[in-house]
Amino acid sequence: MITKKFLPRRTFLRGLGTAVALPFLDAMAPALAATRSSKPPVRMAFVYVPNGIIMDGWNPDYEGPLGELPRILKPLEPYRQDITLFGNLTHNTGRALLDGAGDHGRCCASYLTGVQPRKTVIDIKAGVSFDQIVANQVGNQTRFPSLELGMEDARQAGDCDSGYSCAYTNNLAWKSETQPLPPVLDPRALFERLFGNGMALTPAARARENLYRRSILDFVSDDTRKLETSLGPTDRRKLDEYLSSIREIERQIEKAEKDNAQIDPHMEKPYGTPADFAEHFKLMSDMMTVAFQSDLTRVITFLVTHEGTSRPYREIDIPDGHHPLTHHRNQPDLIEKVTQINSYHVRQFAAWIAKMRSIREGDGSLLDNCMIVYGAGLSDGNRHLHEDLPTLIAGRGGSHFKSGRRIVYRKETPMCNLYLAMMDRMGVHVEHFGDSTGRLDALDLT
Amino acid sequence: MQFPGPAKPPIGIVFDSAMERIDDVLALAMLHGFEGKDQARIAAICVSSGDLRAAQFCDAVAHFYASATTGPAAMFMHFTPIGLAEGKPAPESSMFSKLAGKPVDATGIKSFNDTADGATLIRNALMAQYDQNAAVVLSGPATDLARLLDMYGVKEWIARKVRLLCVAETGIHEDAAAAEKVFAEWPTPIVTVGREIGEALPFPGESIEKDFAYSSAHPIADAYRAYKPMPYDSPSCGMASMLYAVHPNDGYFKLSDGGKPRSLILDPEQKDRITRIYIEMASAKPVPRKPRRPPDDKDKKPEDKDKKEEDKKKDAAAK
Repeated sequence: MITKKFLPRRTFLRGLGTAVALPFLDAMAPALAATRSSKPPVRMAFVYVPNGIIMDGWNPDYEGPLGELPRILKPLEPYRQDITLFGNLTHNTGRALLDGAGDHGRCCASYLTGVQPRKTVIDIKAGVSFDQIVANQVGNQTRFPSLELGMEDARQAGDCDSGYSCAYTNNLAWKSETQPLPPVLDPRALFERLFGNGMALTPAARARENLYRRSILDFVSDDTRKLETSLGPTDRRKLDEYLSSIREIERQIEKAEKDNAQIDPHMEKPYGTPADFAEHFKLMSDMMTVAFQSDLTRVITFLVTHEGTSRPYREIDIPDGHHPLTHHRNQPDLIEKVTQINSYHVRQFAAWIAKMRSIREGDGSLLDNCMIVYGAGLSDGNRHLHEDLPTLIAGRGGSHFKSGRRIVYRKETPMCNLYLAMMDRMGVHVEHFGDSTGRLDALDLT
Repeated sequence: MQFPGPAKPPIGIVFDSAMERIDDVLALAMLHGFEGKDQARIAAICVSSGDLRAAQFCDAVAHFYASATTGPAAMFMHFTPIGLAEGKPAPESSMFSKLAGKPVDATGIKSFNDTADGATLIRNALMAQYDQNAAVVLSGPATDLARLLDMYGVKEWIARKVRLLCVAETGIHEDAAAAEKVFAEWPTPIVTVGREIGEALPFPGESIEKDFAYSSAHPIADAYRAYKPMPYDSPSCGMASMLYAVHPNDGYFKLSDGGKPRSLILDPEQKDRITRIYIEMASAKPVPRKPRRPPDDKDKKPEDKDKKEEDKKKDAAAK
């Protein structure tokens, strides 16, 4: 539709110490050329789950168009037309290759770097991860070249797996071959990073202000009112939904802080991490949604929990540690528990996909313009296998992917071939990455 | 971190063959025999003919030789995929088509995607070998190896890991361009095994009914019978290549002087000895697989132990 005014893509609502980026509005596209030159950007994210997956519950027994999905993927069934499932992708560099035990350390460190990490707890060395190669190329177009997020507190030093540094098990993104990028874990810290903290004040004044729990939207209300008057009804609705989602995130963080303060009244700094796994996941995914929606970044890595984690899942009545359970030695009761954990993770992911799908952007949805990879660095966690890695992409990478299918490649097909194909769609052209042998084919609509 | 030292495992063999001649099947059996006796390890098996049934057969043979492994070791046993050439029609008349319904027909390979690209499989396998502790046995077109040479950064890996390429001359000329490339660019010593070596060292067909009789469903014996009407003796160019690759310094063969490639020369005095080891290895019974782990600390060189101690101290200081 033709609106009264054209807005620059990089328009912010500003207030004291606050800058709220805006979603893609019709007013940002020259209306008559909207379908030609103002396509929304393509974004990519990686959601990594640890300790492998029960593959019998993941792999359908068919190729081609997705129909009924196996148990673990069941929550994604309503969105099956938006996902592409891959078979037989392999990370050879995650294997021992003479380095012995330590598959958890290796599989996480090699997941996005495509190289075998050095087995050490001191002088760590892996490689530049492919998300950072993309961030280096397209990151100058957004406020944050990339965001690294996680949900589980994890140390960065020491031995976390048979002589592999914790830096390997607890990070996905690597800026250089010796510098991992630790994930942001605290939702409040992430929120303030995305939007500012609403005040450019001294710590004492900030603490005083925090008592009143003012929304950052209060700080930008003047700008908001001005902008609204210049927007058409569709954009006004979009803006309202977007700002409401930010306010909802704030409420979730405040609730978590309030809950945590009740648990520990002496806590010096409010800690905004919800105790409940699902709430925490929702909070982080809501912020990822807003970050993509407002083009704050085009590259996100999300380490749900760290590789080798022994986190229990009392939320679903599983008090046992995740990692010990995955060494199930084919015992049905243990396999069942791991399957439930795998399903639980996918359920949270599916809720995020539903949200991304519900947001209109350009001619389609926000999800259409994304490539959100969900996967793990191990397939069979019991045997520590690095082939047929559980991998799916939600979204169509800017309406390029022919989604709604399961594509099975030949055994040993390097995972890095997928990364080359994704880099192409991000506008970053690289001949080789990691142990790639070419670009993954059969992805496109044509 | 590498684990050099006394616990270095036996040589890893990449066997890339057309699997169109019974000689290749016997060479495969020999390789499993060598592995069972801890004289070699199977690094990768590739079928360059494009015959899916041949790949299924190789997979079934691997399962046959693994059948003696039971208990927890079996639970953690893992089968390496079989490499298979792309884009070639499978010959209907192959010996494997006559094995339909036999136990060897039961395999995990149902379709082309259940196999691996040969060059990728070999690259990945070589990365897992100790330096200079691998050999490649080629018995068929060199297509996979030529593609391997074209892979990014792989020539360095080959030079580092492989000590020998042993080429049975039967079948290599089916892809002349690939053969030319491999002979020109392969970065390790090459030894060729002429057809006349195989002709002069026939594998005795009578061994099939005698030495393989321990199993009523022996895949190698089934294939031998399916290949040609019995009785017959088989040439052994591929077997000779395999034997030399595993035991190059044990005096089975002599080598031509200098140049690249060098050629295998038959020493008539070794003929009976060679035939005996052909039979012994090709008919070897399946044995339980031993778990392979990196050497323990006691097997490592002193400098490795020192480095680990140093790492621990640094780690403690960092904490």
